[in-house]
Amino acid sequence: MARTDYQHQLEQLREDVLEMSALVCQRLRRALEALETKDTALAEGIITGDHEINQLYLDLEQQCIELLALQQPVAGDLRFVAASFKIITDLERIGDLAVNLAEYTKQAERERYSEIDIDYIGTQTVEMVETAMEAYATDDVAATHEIAATDDEVDTLCEGASEVVVRDLLEAETTSIDELTDDALLEDVSRMLLTIRDLERVGDHAVNIAARTLYMVENDDELIY
Amino acid sequence: MSTKDADQSLITTDVQTGSRDRTDRTHETVVKARNLDVYYGDEQAISGVSMDIPEHEVTAIIGPSGCGKSTFLRSINRMNDQIDVCRVEGDLSFHGKNVYDEDVDPVALRRKVGQVFQKPNPFPKSIYDNVAYGLRIQGKADEVDLDDAVERALRGAALWDEVKDKLDSSGLDLSGGQQQRLCIARAIAPDPEVILMDEPTSALDPVAASKIEDLIDELVEEYTVIIVTHNMQQAARISDQTAVFLTGGELVEFDETATIFEDPDDDRVEDYITGKFG
Repeated sequence: MARTDYQHQLEQLREDVLEMSALVCQRLRRALEALETKDTALAEGIITGDHEINQLYLDLEQQCIELLALQQPVAGDLRFVAASFKIITDLERIGDLAVNLAEYTKQAERERYSEIDIDYIGTQTVEMVETAMEAYATDDVAATHEIAATDDEVDTLCEGASEVVVRDLLEAETTSIDELTDDALLEDVSRMLLTIRDLERVGDHAVNIAARTLYMVENDDELIY
Repeated sequence: MSTKDADQSLITTDVQTGSRDRTDRTHETVVKARNLDVYYGDEQAISGVSMDIPEHEVTAIIGPSGCGKSTFLRSINRMNDQIDVCRVEGDLSFHGKNVYDEDVDPVALRRKVGQVFQKPNPFPKSIYDNVAYGLRIQGKADEVDLDDAVERALRGAALWDEVKDKLDSSGLDLSGGQQQRLCIARAIAPDPEVILMDEPTSALDPVAASKIEDLIDELVEEYTVIIVTHNMQQAARISDQTAVFLTGGELVEFDETATIFEDPDDDRVEDYITGKFG
């Protein structure tokens, strides 16, 4: 095979993107665990470790730029580099969302909304990201469509969870006891809504990854918009 | 220009004066190949090529060495006539007229289908005479304002500003890039319809090559450009459609350039343009 060094660089990029995704998914799972178990030490580790993901992102961005500038990939190779370039941005954002979850863990002082299964929603979204990255690794077109369908289910779960929170807030307004209690309630409501929103966004990033993977494999932009 | 008019222009030896109507910007087929085979003796250089080349667009032909892309280019204006063992079968038409019909005058054909070669090859004459040469041998010198025609061709080749004060200097004194633009001026002076370019920038530095690429972008407003290039990025940059020839003289894929370089149909094309073979 000609251009062996170039082929090696492409393979290295794929391996490095998968390595970044493995780290991001691990952080996200830990963030969910910290949230579930109220483990602030674990949460702190996720916050302080985010720079590793950021650095990986910058390194991979540079790899993509160098491949484009020096090797001028075309056709399937071009779509692979372009898709990877976009996917690492989604991964970096998911890393940021894991940090957000860790921050919420540190801020949370009370148990509220036990009827909302945040861990279940979170696990669904992590699995979406993992499935999307598996599709990227194996050129699995069918999986990309499945992820888009799963995202609809996650959106429904998030919508239902948000309704529970808002309903609780409306009920609390009618039975307000004192200002201190109201402030605490508002903090909890805000934090829970942000948690739900962030998990929903993780799902959206998984769909983005699936969309770019579909484009990469089949030059099909059906899922991109 | 109607097919009938074009046919006549190839057959007649009379020189037609005045510019053709360039207001017509429809992208009709100007060169059409159907099941074209070209042989050098027993060796087949082009194998069953069929393609329609639209006017006022840049068509790039790419492929590995020996795939027949230059042979195809030279077939269009019958430059292969000069090779004794060369034999052409099938149909290759210019505005609907088979250029290999017996009544076609190759000289008249080359007036309509000019060519620029890999290495700049100005004549050992002045810049002015290089450009006027084609008009003079066609007998146009008495019919057109030669000074005006030379200036127009040099402007068309984006060379006028650099040479207007030294038109009597030898064309050989120019830089490589300027010499190639002089050759382009020489090619467009007789007012052709099609310009064939056979790796026109391969002997030039990147800056000079870039000027030729910019020039091609301007030329296509008035002419149809068919360019053979080994530089795939150049094909990607400057062409509207790209034809990929592979070994054996087979046209494997011909499509919009963006499609060829983003999502080619044929796996062999993908392998070739990504450098996996060739």
